[in-house]
Amino acid sequence: MSAVAAATRPVERQAPAPLHRPNKRWTRFLLPVYTIVMIVYLSSPIVMMILYSFNDLPGQIDRQSARFWGFTFDWWKNVWNIPGLPGAFRNSLKIAFPSAAISTVLGALFGLALGRYRFRGTRGVDFVIFLAIAVPEIVLGASLLSMFVLAGFPLGLGSILLSHIGFSIAFVAVTVRARVQGLDRNLEDAAQDLFASPVTAFFKVTLPLITPAIMAGFLLAFVLSLDDFVISNFVAGQESTFPLWVYGAQRIGIPPQVNVMATILFAAGIIAAITNVVAQRRRG
Amino acid sequence: MSDRDERIVDPATMQDIMRHRLTRRSVLRGAGTGIAGFSLASFLAACGGDGGGNGGGNGGNGGNGFDIGQIYAGEPGDQINFANWPFYLDQSKNNEGEVFHPTLRRFAQETGIQVNYEDVINDNAEFFGRLQPLLAAGDDPGWDIIVMTNGRYFTTLVANDWVYPLDPDRRPNFDANAASWAKDPFYDPGNTHGMAWQSGITGIGVNRKLVNGEVTTMDDLANPNKVGTNSVGMLEGDMPDWVMINLGIDPTTSGPEEWRDAANWLRMQQESGTVRAYYGNEYLPELQNENLSATMAWSGDVLYSEVWLQYDMEFVFPEDGALLWIDNMMIPAGSQNPVGAMEVMDFYYDPEIATMVTEWVLYMSPIPQTQELIEANAAQAEEQGFKGYANKLYQTARSPFLYPSDEFISRTSFGRDLRTQEETEEWDAIFLPISQG
Amino acid sequence: MRRGVDTPERAEESRKRTLGSRRRLVPYYLLSPAGLFLTVFFLLPLVLMIYTSLQSGGLLAGGFTFTWEFGNYTEVLGQYQRQFLRSIQYSAIVTVVALLLAYPLTYWIAFYAGKWKTSILLLILAPFFVSFIIRTIQWKFILADSGPLFGPIKDVGLLPDGFRVLATPFAVVAGITYNFLPFTALPLYVALERIDKRLVEAAKDLYASRWQAFRRVVWPLSIPGVFAGFLLTFVPATGDYVNADLLGGPGTTMIGNIIQQKFLTELDYPEAAALSVILMVVMLVLASLYARILGTEDVERAAGAQA
Repeated sequence: MSAVAAATRPVERQAPAPLHRPNKRWTRFLLPVYTIVMIVYLSSPIVMMILYSFNDLPGQIDRQSARFWGFTFDWWKNVWNIPGLPGAFRNSLKIAFPSAAISTVLGALFGLALGRYRFRGTRGVDFVIFLAIAVPEIVLGASLLSMFVLAGFPLGLGSILLSHIGFSIAFVAVTVRARVQGLDRNLEDAAQDLFASPVTAFFKVTLPLITPAIMAGFLLAFVLSLDDFVISNFVAGQESTFPLWVYGAQRIGIPPQVNVMATILFAAGIIAAITNVVAQRRRG
Repeated sequence: MSDRDERIVDPATMQDIMRHRLTRRSVLRGAGTGIAGFSLASFLAACGGDGGGNGGGNGGNGGNGFDIGQIYAGEPGDQINFANWPFYLDQSKNNEGEVFHPTLRRFAQETGIQVNYEDVINDNAEFFGRLQPLLAAGDDPGWDIIVMTNGRYFTTLVANDWVYPLDPDRRPNFDANAASWAKDPFYDPGNTHGMAWQSGITGIGVNRKLVNGEVTTMDDLANPNKVGTNSVGMLEGDMPDWVMINLGIDPTTSGPEEWRDAANWLRMQQESGTVRAYYGNEYLPELQNENLSATMAWSGDVLYSEVWLQYDMEFVFPEDGALLWIDNMMIPAGSQNPVGAMEVMDFYYDPEIATMVTEWVLYMSPIPQTQELIEANAAQAEEQGFKGYANKLYQTARSPFLYPSDEFISRTSFGRDLRTQEETEEWDAIFLPISQG
Repeated sequence: MRRGVDTPERAEESRKRTLGSRRRLVPYYLLSPAGLFLTVFFLLPLVLMIYTSLQSGGLLAGGFTFTWEFGNYTEVLGQYQRQFLRSIQYSAIVTVVALLLAYPLTYWIAFYAGKWKTSILLLILAPFFVSFIIRTIQWKFILADSGPLFGPIKDVGLLPDGFRVLATPFAVVAGITYNFLPFTALPLYVALERIDKRLVEAAKDLYASRWQAFRRVVWPLSIPGVFAGFLLTFVPATGDYVNADLLGGPGTTMIGNIIQQKFLTELDYPEAAALSVILMVVMLVLASLYARILGTEDVERAAGAQA
């Protein structure tokens, strides 16, 4: 690392006066402006989504169009009016909660083991986790479909749930593991020196410390399940989830109610994330 | 617009037209029950047989190992799940802006049975793909009524016993009111497995603002000067047959040689740069949103968009011919409620109900009486002072696309019915690569 | 329980010993529930895919049977070369563009954002709470021929009326880039954030310009992050099919689209599985190479930072 080497050079030797380009004012603004531009770019579809939930479509037309005709609250008033949509939305929630809950429990245990203990096969397990995060979703979705079909397992909400847990575990595990690795081992040892059993030490010392990571893992697993499209597309059979319904609907035109629902979900997600961050800050 | 006399078509004439076409085809395939039955049997023999199959399909017992008495022994349940194509059922909004289907509401009022209706079908191949694993495993498919176009997927469903035979004693409305072309079609003799929902033609949907000049032939869709680049849609499922018709080939008697001719035209079109994408039903929002200047389209979709949604588009009957097809209601095997399903199916053969549907979907109704009823409704609306509405209804009743003349029908043709594994593979090998880029 | 010991020290040792043997098993207990689940619902399907890829048969011919049909692979490789290469090509472009876009962004946040770091990060990641289907559909509206972006531009005359973005490779690549940007940005951010700022200061103390400090200090230290971002983007992007489906046309078909079609519409399971296996193997090779060279920690840390 050249910087370190440079730092150890004796300071007495006079470094030749470098050709300093004077620090022009405008270059200072380059990066911040760029950041703002990027934020605008990244949020443009969201802005579009929220804006068009107020799109006052003319006449009998009730499917979204690229053109914005004016403001109306109609779609917000009649959110649940599209046949099939509320059911699909409910299905998404019905799957997301258990999926997040189960994968959080399983993943947290997994992450804890990975982070604290050294055991045979660590490398192998590491690689599997890495795979689970990096594998293209279509490969996973297609494989799960093959397996369910071969095993004669019925395709539906159950197969979706199992698949979601499958890919969420790795994400939760990694989140928890990262936190566990950063923990000071001495804390738990200290607790044990005070004659606490390992179990008590775990519950009273370790667990509170890794709870933020577990919460974050839960949130992550929840969002992954709620938003999942590719894998659900393969294993859903005849059932529908919110993203699946939207994908099907966009072929004939999505109703603006979809914008409304997505906006609600988005707002909920933001609130949850902010709460999580604030809560973490409080814990110190 | 055609002459007043031709508008109200004599059902008998219509029957003759359809039958004439059928007998031409019968040379190869047979319109009669016996020959169709034989084809079915030989098809199954060629397949090495699948569970429960030996030909027949001759009505009555429904052959194929299904016992009609047993299937229809239960009570009509409380709920029927009905899967259909989009824009295929009458739709309305109540005062709170809630979307509902008036005919389904009528049905619920009259019978107490709720119908869960979803327009999830966009493409025969795709819907079949979703359904097949469940049917093959003997699982509950989740639907009591599905609507499939005549053609290879219809045939496959029947041949593999993946649909229940219909009970001929449970369709009095059908027997009384169905057009003769809907009764005993060549692909489903005796209506053993399906009842026509609507019929339609595949032509060209045109956005007048975005094209240069008149678009009237298939070749116009390959002409960038007329339609621009990257702005033409093609219907993936229909295009092989449609292109053959417009090249002067009769698809029903075509073989791999002719298929290759069609494929060559499609490649030529691709090279001209006009094609934007190959679609199922999703071409319609693209046309509505002005992403397409012209596209292969289904008559009712375009007519509906033009007449009721006031989009600036028109449906064009290509000069060299159009594809004719019939969508059919079927009951997938494993359905929990075939009795209720048949009640629903027969309900839509009541002329008054059928009129409510046709006025909305603007496709060819299998109930000829609807034409008079729509005229009557139009006259009534006019009397009550709803001029605009009345005009729309008159347009509907007199549309050559809904109530076609003999001459009109003679310029259409059905598509190629693929029946064996070899044919299917050959067809796919020739046509699939075109849309797969 | 401590029994028969006479000194506190020996009590301590004895306790640690009994715990020691139990201790060794603890990780396995912790791992087993999730491990079992992963084995059945992650590893097993991947293995079964290989099994399926060696089957032959057809829907109308009475089903599929296992026949060591390696011909599926040759057939599929021959027929879909173009789509494979196209997917890799698109993915490569996406990865490079995403890197170029994300680097300055994450650099600024990591080095200059100070106490606003988390908030800005949240601002950047917030859009990705919404399902990517919906985001991509919104792009379809934004980029529509006469939509809110191009409509006014065309009206003013800056672009010819026939100008289109949708259904071109550009739209597909742009869509994939957008959707995978966080996968590039996060590993980069994590790596950049960990760099000790004092190193940069030290460089500046030695009269290095900002650019030199970057080139010689920051960039080399961020390379593991760059590679992590590269891998987390390139691998899943190659298998993407939704962007090509929604934003593309016939000339942009990716291998993911073919797999999806073959599985769900054509029901040609053996060939579809063969395609998936090939995709999986290529990705596995890349992933293993990376893991061997740089270790998997950066990737996992990055994934952890997403939460």
